[in-house]
Amino acid sequence: MLKIPLVEPGTVGPCPVASDALQGIKRQQTNPARWNGAGWPAFVATLRAGGVELAEGSVACGVYATDAGGTAYGLPHGVVIARNAGQVSFLLKTAQTHRVPVTVRGGGLTTEGESVAFGGVLLDMIGMSRVVSIDAAGLTVRTEAGIFWHSLAEELRRENLDYLSAPLNMTSSVGGTLGVGGIDVNSARLGCSADQAISLQVVTPSGEIVECSDSENGELFQRVILGYGQFGIITEATLRIRPYTPLRMYYYYYSSLRVAIEDLQILDRNDASDYSGILTIMDCAVNLLVAFDSDEREAAFHAHWKSRLRGYGETGFALCMAGHYALRPWKFREALYLLQRKREVFPEFRRAEYMRDKKMYDRTVVFSRAVWKHWGSKQMVIPDLATPADKFIEAVERGNAVCRKYFTHYTLYCVGIKLRPEHLPHYEMSCIPPGAEGWAYGCEFEPMIEGGIYSRDHFQSFKNAIYDIGVDMGASYYRFGGMMKGYIRRVFGDALVDRHLAMKRKADPAMILNRDVIF
Amino acid sequence: MPATLAKAPAAPRDFAACSGCSLCLLVCPMWRRHHDPRLTPEGMAKALQCGATAADLADPVETCSLCGACDPVCPERIDLSGMVMELRHQLAGALPPPGLPPMERPALFAELQARMQHEERPAGPSQVSLRSDTVFLPGPALRADPAFLERTVALLNLPVFADDGDDIALALELGADIPQTRLQSFVDSLRGHSIVAADGLLLRQLRRWLPGSKRMGLGAALCSRAAVRSNLAATDLYVIEPRACHADYERMVIYYNNLQIEIGCSLSLDLQRIAIPASAPGLRHRLGLAAADDDTQARWILRGRTPERIVVEDLADIAAFRRITDIPVVHLAELGGDPTMIRKTARAFN
Repeated sequence: MLKIPLVEPGTVGPCPVASDALQGIKRQQTNPARWNGAGWPAFVATLRAGGVELAEGSVACGVYATDAGGTAYGLPHGVVIARNAGQVSFLLKTAQTHRVPVTVRGGGLTTEGESVAFGGVLLDMIGMSRVVSIDAAGLTVRTEAGIFWHSLAEELRRENLDYLSAPLNMTSSVGGTLGVGGIDVNSARLGCSADQAISLQVVTPSGEIVECSDSENGELFQRVILGYGQFGIITEATLRIRPYTPLRMYYYYYSSLRVAIEDLQILDRNDASDYSGILTIMDCAVNLLVAFDSDEREAAFHAHWKSRLRGYGETGFALCMAGHYALRPWKFREALYLLQRKREVFPEFRRAEYMRDKKMYDRTVVFSRAVWKHWGSKQMVIPDLATPADKFIEAVERGNAVCRKYFTHYTLYCVGIKLRPEHLPHYEMSCIPPGAEGWAYGCEFEPMIEGGIYSRDHFQSFKNAIYDIGVDMGASYYRFGGMMKGYIRRVFGDALVDRHLAMKRKADPAMILNRDVIF
Repeated sequence: MPATLAKAPAAPRDFAACSGCSLCLLVCPMWRRHHDPRLTPEGMAKALQCGATAADLADPVETCSLCGACDPVCPERIDLSGMVMELRHQLAGALPPPGLPPMERPALFAELQARMQHEERPAGPSQVSLRSDTVFLPGPALRADPAFLERTVALLNLPVFADDGDDIALALELGADIPQTRLQSFVDSLRGHSIVAADGLLLRQLRRWLPGSKRMGLGAALCSRAAVRSNLAATDLYVIEPRACHADYERMVIYYNNLQIEIGCSLSLDLQRIAIPASAPGLRHRLGLAAADDDTQARWILRGRTPERIVVEDLADIAAFRRITDIPVVHLAELGGDPTMIRKTARAFN
């Protein structure tokens, strides 16, 4: 008889994706079991008596059935729209008492089901979307944490200010981003978005409302930043900001991933640009983007660094590609795809309403709209690898080979992340790879679904193949929670994971907060 | 006429294509006011994917102001305003649940139906002799102010089309049935004409009913007149009528971008270059069942801005701004007061 070991809620069971699991069967991953609803009516009655509005029913809950990944599906028993820290505190206290799981959702842009509720309450943080105050002189902003980065940008721009760095996605929430990292094309210079947080208001899993920073309740701050929502719900955040500047963007084209990455790292090491990153069409057309906030920085780049880059301009690369495919007529389909992609995507980055005097205004809008229009779909599978600088080229090349094996078309997005030595405690058990010094590098491997139909097993096998590279190379991942949590112990090791589990048990006795995301 | 030939839009997709990107929330006035994802196009699309009915969504459907801001930002090309209009149509025609008395409908519904069924509509004015002539559909708000209408007509130098489809525009707003005969006669009477319409929702539908026709909102038409445009100043805040803008977004965003470059004024656009509505009246407000008590949108447009004057395309926006600021608010038509300029530019439009 098959013996299935019982796993206590909130603990990591036998690894379902370990290489020795399910011998002879393709490694698979499934959604967590749905919470059984024990005590739900009493929990709801307590909440409602306390004035908390909770919506139930398939329509209210169905809205949250999946996340941006579109491969994990689950329904909460009820939904609460966050309104203030007091309400969130009451919710968590009541949930601890009744042992009801609480899943927190911001922009819902997770891809591994981390913001999907498999029963219990779904707390939608985007109800807390107001900017509390802007200190234009001190260059800080205090905001509710459910706010989308774009909404924050809209408010800041009225005072000619801007955030420092945020994901190239307008509908990421501030709180969600601070909980996982947040990578921008200026992260090689400014660090990840989470590094911009000065202080936070956090509601702990047991319902305490605590203000924390590196100097006040520092341990909580360290665990909540990049903590994947395990140690508290961020309800407000104070962030560094800066004066707004449009930027001047340059594109260099390569046919070699290795050369492009080498050039990217040269720019980053020498602080030669304000923005840098790589975006590819498979490994055929590799685009290194370089951008500047000021004329001075741009002039310095032209004087010292431009001539060292080995990429082509658009015309030169077109000629290069024409020659390449003329000699390889059997690859005409690939050439046609590149041409078609160029025709579709390039105009998005040159729309007249965002360009003035050759400068790009509102880059996040330009990039985010292009990303959703040309890369977005109802399913998004984006495994990634984060490595120290010296291992990055190998990681990308190995990941690229996996992409070629599993999908016809795909995109790679590579960017550097400047590390702040004083933030080392923040980086523990996070996307920042252990052992990275100076910079970490991340690469997302995104297959183009393009209306194709793939099984979840196909996606999962692809993700496993990418993540196995990370295990082999001692890398980390941006998306190691949810459906990929089986990799956590393999990557971070038992000692570190057990230490975090002990902290989690202490902070969250009933293990209610974001259950099944990490633990 | 400065409007280029507008192509028929690519076939829109329906709610099933919603991937949950939330881009529509960023521009939705309902979202700004309530911060409740259920009262947004994405919330409605996701609910429909989960089997919700029009009755389940009555609240968001009636709250929506149909400003159309969500349409151009949707990366999946979902016709989100069309989805709300269809839901309104379903709500308007819904039978009461078994055992319950018939749902109360404002008397307006019955009156409207009667008008569309029985009223004889006048043909176009006699001066519209050629099918190629541009005609002006002023709508009820302008008609209610004859002096203002006269001034506008003088500026545009266009004949007022007697049948301006005000009943059809109202039916679109309410989700009421439009008798096929009435719709056909209206559309046929406009066929071949270039059209300037004050009602943005009607303009939106005319794009579908008369693909390939030349159409323009009143604001852009007035602003294209030298008599008006020459009186715009760099210190103005120019407030765009959102429905007409979003109904023909790809063309209008370039139009307003050029206006800003030329004049230097600030525009009521957000960072996505979407027109921020100065007010966002839902169905109940438009039916006169609720008062205009919300200044969220107008305050948001003014946040951090200190214009010397506010210039609006939509008459209704004058009141929205006057409630919250002492800054002078004028309609575009009030800028073109110089009769010499009017005569000088009289033929420029055609």
